[in-house]
Amino acid sequence: MSRAAACWVVVIVLLAGGVVASLLVGAGDLSDAALRERFLVLRGWRLANAFLSGAALAGAGVLVQGLFRNPLASPSLIGTSAGASLGGVAVLLLWNTLLAGALPPWLPAELVLPIGCLVGAWASLAILLAVTGRDASMITVLLTGFILSALFLSVVGLLSAIAQERYELGRAVVAFTLGGVESTGPRHALLALPLVAITAAVSMGWCRHLDVLLSGEDEARSLGVDVPRVRRWVIVWAATLTAAAVAIGGNIAFVGLVVPHVLRSFVGELHRALFPAALVGGGAFVVWADVLTRVVPTTSPIPLGVVTGLVGAPVFLVLLARASREGRIV
Amino acid sequence: MSAADLRASTSGATGLRVRGLDAAYARGPKVLFGVDLVAEPGLVTALLGPNGSGKSTLLKALVGLVPSTGAIELDGERFGALGLRERARRLAYVPQRTQLAARLTVRAVVELGRFAHRDPFARSSAGDDEAVAGALDEAGVAELAERRFTELSGGEQQRVLLARALATGAETLLLDEPTSSQDVRHVLELHGTLRRLADRGRTVLVVLHDLAEVRRHADRAVLLDGGRVHAAGTADEIVRDDRIGAVYGVQLIEGAGLGYRLREQEDAR
Repeated sequence: MSRAAACWVVVIVLLAGGVVASLLVGAGDLSDAALRERFLVLRGWRLANAFLSGAALAGAGVLVQGLFRNPLASPSLIGTSAGASLGGVAVLLLWNTLLAGALPPWLPAELVLPIGCLVGAWASLAILLAVTGRDASMITVLLTGFILSALFLSVVGLLSAIAQERYELGRAVVAFTLGGVESTGPRHALLALPLVAITAAVSMGWCRHLDVLLSGEDEARSLGVDVPRVRRWVIVWAATLTAAAVAIGGNIAFVGLVVPHVLRSFVGELHRALFPAALVGGGAFVVWADVLTRVVPTTSPIPLGVVTGLVGAPVFLVLLARASREGRIV
Repeated sequence: MSAADLRASTSGATGLRVRGLDAAYARGPKVLFGVDLVAEPGLVTALLGPNGSGKSTLLKALVGLVPSTGAIELDGERFGALGLRERARRLAYVPQRTQLAARLTVRAVVELGRFAHRDPFARSSAGDDEAVAGALDEAGVAELAERRFTELSGGEQQRVLLARALATGAETLLLDEPTSSQDVRHVLELHGTLRRLADRGRTVLVVLHDLAEVRRHADRAVLLDGGRVHAAGTADEIVRDDRIGAVYGVQLIEGAGLGYRLREQEDAR
């Protein structure tokens, strides 16, 4: 069996294990027949949301790393996750203060936050594309994304400070910024699923462009790749995946960076192999991380983004150390 | 009618014709001034000139990597009017050094050459596989196919880049110093490959530094100096003491240096 095939088996087994664990583990008691079905349905939706946000983040990571031709790039580089956070926090604040909880009848309350995230993400994407223009270099894109991120996160900080004036609102903002899927349900999944599925399918069609782009922009062009066009569209797809992920689970740290990075050494650097593996692998990673948030004995649940960071960062350090011992750049 | 003319008239290919090409890097000084150049199908045309004379820039301008003004005509069509994928199917470029640093296998690198022939979602066709296998063979890297590109020597990498260019199936090949990192044997093999490609009616334009190579292996030569064409003609007309002296400031010594060639039985390959 090839390394890539073995990797797929491992990823799928991990996912299957994650699905089972995620259904079985939790605060509720499944032995109570009256409540069993209810718990399973709740956990099922939570599981679906964990998978979707992990898949979207890892997929976006592959796209962004391909675009920057750098395995250390992460989706947060293009500013979308910060934009989505800002949108989310702004909407939380608005809704709880000025709008005083009033909503148009067609909008369910639990979708206020996700829709705020999507609007924030796409607004930041629009700013990025407008500032960088058609022929901007990747450095310009990188710096613009960095500056937008810094700006948006400052505003998030400001809004969070304001939110602390009300205890419940402050808690909600903190919970959102740390990431988590514990309070997500079917509406979240049904909002994100089409976004993630369609964007992922379209992105597959761009993977071959990214493969050729591994040769550098000049060579890619001579081989027939319209580099500015690839850049623009891949940024759009990566941003949309990130937006969908933040809309469901808030800022889940490290997934977009670590998952593609780990998988790359098994399935190789070609994006058309790496991208689908990252979707499944990222999903499995976040599903397991979400299980961990439930088993660690604390009085209040640990935020999901903290778990992914606590697991992801050391894994990444080990990879870095190994790579530098072997004398290669990661 | 020469053999080359005959091939050109039967295939309809007229090769690469460049008139009045000016080129400048973005926001940089002008590098090429009114370059006229013809590279015909069936012939190996060498591009030579001192360091900084604009050889690499000329190739990049022809591929569209450096902005240029002037007329570039490929087999009778205005090159600028073709779409990028169409260009890639007609004209292939072998850079002197690659930006490719991914740990791909040699085969995967050569497959990148098929990009312009495929739909984004399509799996590789039998035609793709055949083109890749043929290109690996032709460039002499078939035995490296499963090795990692990043683990190869500079010379091996250059030959893999040639294979990638051949996999595009383009009738016109531009090569930037493909022999610069090759040992003596591979220099000869590479020129053998270029000759076979020309014999099959391809147009070959190759930047060379070694004047002896130009004279031995090229049919025609274009001598650049300071971004202008100093002279163009047959390789023997160009590699002459007066012209070389004027451009490089050196004196040619006829009959100097070691000669070598592939052994008899290998010549027949």
